[in-house]
Amino acid sequence: MPCVRPCQIPGSSRVAAAATGPEPGAAYNLRHESNCELALSAPGIVVAGLRKRYGTVLALDGMSFSVRPGQVTGFVGPNGAGKSTTMRVILGLDAVEEGTALIGGLPYRGLRHPLHHVGSLLDAAAPHPGRSGRNHLLWLAHSQGLDVRRVDRVIEQAGLAPAARRKAGGYSLGMRQRLGIAAALLGDPPVVLLDEPFNGMDPDGIVWMRGLLRSLASEGRAVLVSSHLMGEMQHTADHLVVAGRGRAIADASVAELIAAASRGNGATLEDVYLRLTREAVEFRTGTSTEDRK
Amino acid sequence: MRPALHAEWTKARTVAGPLWLLLGTIAATVALSAGAVSVARCPCGDMAEVSLIGVDLGQALVVILAVLVIAGEYGTGMIRTTLTAMPHRSTVLAAKAAVLTGIVAAAGTVAVLGSLLAGRLILPGHVQPLTDGPTLRTALAAILYLTLIALLGLGVATAVRDSATSIGTVLGLLYVFPVLSQTIGDQHWQRLLQRITPMPDHLGVTAAWAGAALLSGALLLHLRDA
Amino acid sequence: MSAFAHVVHAEWTKFRTVRGWVAGMVAAALLLVVFALLAGVSSDQKGAPPVPIGPDGGPVTDSFYFVHRPLTGDGAITASVPALKSSIPADPEHLRPGTVPWAKAGLIVKESTRPGARYAAIMVTGGHGVRMQDGYVHDTAGPAGVSARLLRLERSGDAITGYASADGAHWTKVGTVHLRGLGPTAQGGLFVASPPSVQGMGTSGSVSTAAFGNLRVQGHWAPGDWTGGQVGAESPGFAGYPANTSGAFTESGGRFTVTGAGDMAPAVRETLPTGGTLGEILTGTFAALIAVIVVAALSVTTEYRSGLVRVTLAAGPGRSRVLAAKAIVLGAVAFVAGLVGAAVAVPLGLHLAEANGVYVFPVTAATEVRVVLGVAALLATVSVLALSAGAVFRHSAGAVTTVVVAVVLPYILMAIPFMPASVSTWLARVTPGAAFAVLQTLVPYHQVASIYTPYEGYYPLAPWAGFAVLAGYAMGALAVAAVLLHRRDA
Repeated sequence: MPCVRPCQIPGSSRVAAAATGPEPGAAYNLRHESNCELALSAPGIVVAGLRKRYGTVLALDGMSFSVRPGQVTGFVGPNGAGKSTTMRVILGLDAVEEGTALIGGLPYRGLRHPLHHVGSLLDAAAPHPGRSGRNHLLWLAHSQGLDVRRVDRVIEQAGLAPAARRKAGGYSLGMRQRLGIAAALLGDPPVVLLDEPFNGMDPDGIVWMRGLLRSLASEGRAVLVSSHLMGEMQHTADHLVVAGRGRAIADASVAELIAAASRGNGATLEDVYLRLTREAVEFRTGTSTEDRK
Repeated sequence: MRPALHAEWTKARTVAGPLWLLLGTIAATVALSAGAVSVARCPCGDMAEVSLIGVDLGQALVVILAVLVIAGEYGTGMIRTTLTAMPHRSTVLAAKAAVLTGIVAAAGTVAVLGSLLAGRLILPGHVQPLTDGPTLRTALAAILYLTLIALLGLGVATAVRDSATSIGTVLGLLYVFPVLSQTIGDQHWQRLLQRITPMPDHLGVTAAWAGAALLSGALLLHLRDA
Repeated sequence: MSAFAHVVHAEWTKFRTVRGWVAGMVAAALLLVVFALLAGVSSDQKGAPPVPIGPDGGPVTDSFYFVHRPLTGDGAITASVPALKSSIPADPEHLRPGTVPWAKAGLIVKESTRPGARYAAIMVTGGHGVRMQDGYVHDTAGPAGVSARLLRLERSGDAITGYASADGAHWTKVGTVHLRGLGPTAQGGLFVASPPSVQGMGTSGSVSTAAFGNLRVQGHWAPGDWTGGQVGAESPGFAGYPANTSGAFTESGGRFTVTGAGDMAPAVRETLPTGGTLGEILTGTFAALIAVIVVAALSVTTEYRSGLVRVTLAAGPGRSRVLAAKAIVLGAVAFVAGLVGAAVAVPLGLHLAEANGVYVFPVTAATEVRVVLGVAALLATVSVLALSAGAVFRHSAGAVTTVVVAVVLPYILMAIPFMPASVSTWLARVTPGAAFAVLQTLVPYHQVASIYTPYEGYYPLAPWAGFAVLAGYAMGALAVAAVLLHRRDA
């Protein structure tokens, strides 16, 4: 069993799932390799104890979870729960006051040619309206030392071929999503991070996206997908991280979540999600504790 | 750095804006210079400077180009894609600065040579050829000036992040300072103002402005969330 | 409220709820004040010689070579001026003969030799024939067509009458002026003045020498010799004599030869370069303009960028009405910003200038109000221009640059030294920069040859006419924006 959450951040009330981590209560910093060798060598994403404040609003308050290879991890939660902020922190766009976010054991900003390590889609691609989708991918490829063949490859993969040479200003939201997916796949990365990829997709696109996520996971990649579509997550995700008030209030497999919450009533993931977020309960693998706050 | 440069160069050549702005810079500079030379009274002094007056107009287009290089990305949100692909923020800024320097220097050279040529055609004998030391110096200074103005624009836009505000700030600096130094009566202040006004014959001052802008831009780029 | 009032109200709410835009307009007002402060503290002329003030309160140039004797009560003086020759510098060391159109030689009665004192004079000039002048600003042409070389000046009470004649037999009255409050004893005699000569884009000091003959005086002239001397040698408006020359007179056998320099005339910018103007105190207008342009352009382009324009047009489908409402809101806010900024800047700048011993060309209260309102109207109109440009370009960078270049660059070009006056006045007539005429407080005088360019503060168009040029551009741009807003998809 890989180290899921090997390092606890001081102040976190939660208990590690597996007792492979250091003793509870001890202060550790993930940057100290000696304490967290497991985390550093772990593939995927490890987010630990993120804390961030925008003015008076506490955006992240001890956000911790990990994303394992070979799985689609759903990242859900109400608006303002800190999902997008977490993703931006993982991608090195936003700085945090406390905590770390590591990809394959390294902070994002330490990655050379990061698109070989992580592919990401934030909001939908935001290409220059006057640049064609293909040229948007071309500059990204050049930034990673890749050439045009890789660009044409991901254009095919994302189903963007018909629109690739048109100016991106005329793209629909669905098409921009496909462009963003193409960009995420450009470096053939082991970790893929997608923020709301189903947004603006037509039914064909949703089916395609579902298949894509499954196949990326089956290729052994770690896939983190944020979404508001619980039905979609129930069918696509293996594992779910539910964010609420800047922290992960649940971190468990989809099957476990449904089983634990429904107790045989045949509840859907949506029911579970609504209950978790409404009552701000915490739920995690290996524990059935429901700390009411 | 190489991939970042390559990426920024690809960005610059795959949209129409920069090319049109560079062509516009050349056209505006040469047109205003030619106009000024043809109306200038008393062709007696150094007409090389007169025939480069178009730089006053061309610089405005250079400022747009430079500002949009980064503020345009903030406007569309593409800056996040850029910084995700190239997390070394100083490298991104350096690559942008390098590409900008290259294209503005190239367009500036065409604009300046075109203006001098126009001057020679309109007032034969009054504008010295480039082999003339002072003329060559004036021409080189004008090209360098345009390049430094581009870097100034890039630095301000990196700090300000909004294209309109950045352009307003830079044009304010470029156009209000000369007006101010003309209207200030006191000799001492006038000299001081003229010393700190970015101008083609004050390359050191212009470079200091550009450097300060780039430095503060780089610092803020590092400190702030994207 | 009418439907349009609702649209205006909505636009006002939109404007005031974006902190950056409100801050931009406040910055515009502050820039006016800050630049006035800067202009005020930047000059220090404490201890400079005082500027002579004429009888009507305006600054004057009063420097000339005066050969005089006191005249008590009524009397007259007659003389011929057979020759008036002027010299202008050929290079810093040498002079060459030249024509100075307003070089003056003639007869004068003056309250005293104090610069700024009342006078009336009749004279021959270098290029404008016989003139009678008084009070520094009044100028009357003498008989045309005849080369009148004989001059006569009579005093009767406070009335001074000038005559000219070609042959000594037929005299033509040129004019009568009343020097109110002229005491019983005045100074009367011969004078020579030689104003700076306009050469290219600058002026250089000239010197003139006149020969006087047939000098006759009537009435109670003080006995004794004629006294020669330079009036106003220390005046700030006196450029001095060219190298190796000085004022002097010689008399031999009833013939006088008088050499003089300077002028008796209203001060203009060129002759009083140390004088400040309201326009200089309001230099901040240029910076304020840029702030207003940025806010105005953004107020429409951000709507396009965020897609808010679709909400706006859905909420108020009359597209022209939305544009008009935006123009009204922005124009009004910019007007208030300009009004407040200028209303604070002008008295502040004037006070600081005075405290630093800087002489500011005086203006009437009405002119001061006109300048302040003009700045406010200028900012309001430019905001409409920038708004329209924003709606046309739908891109803030293009809109801001176009408007800044269209409004400010013409002014900079006007101010370039080598730019011939014809070009800079053309620019000040046809470009949006014409509107800077609202800052104008100086008046050109035909009898003072000087440099009357926009750079010196003299605009070819009257303040409101110059403003109308800008308003025309703004209305045209607004119309284009309205048409495009209708034709294009939102």
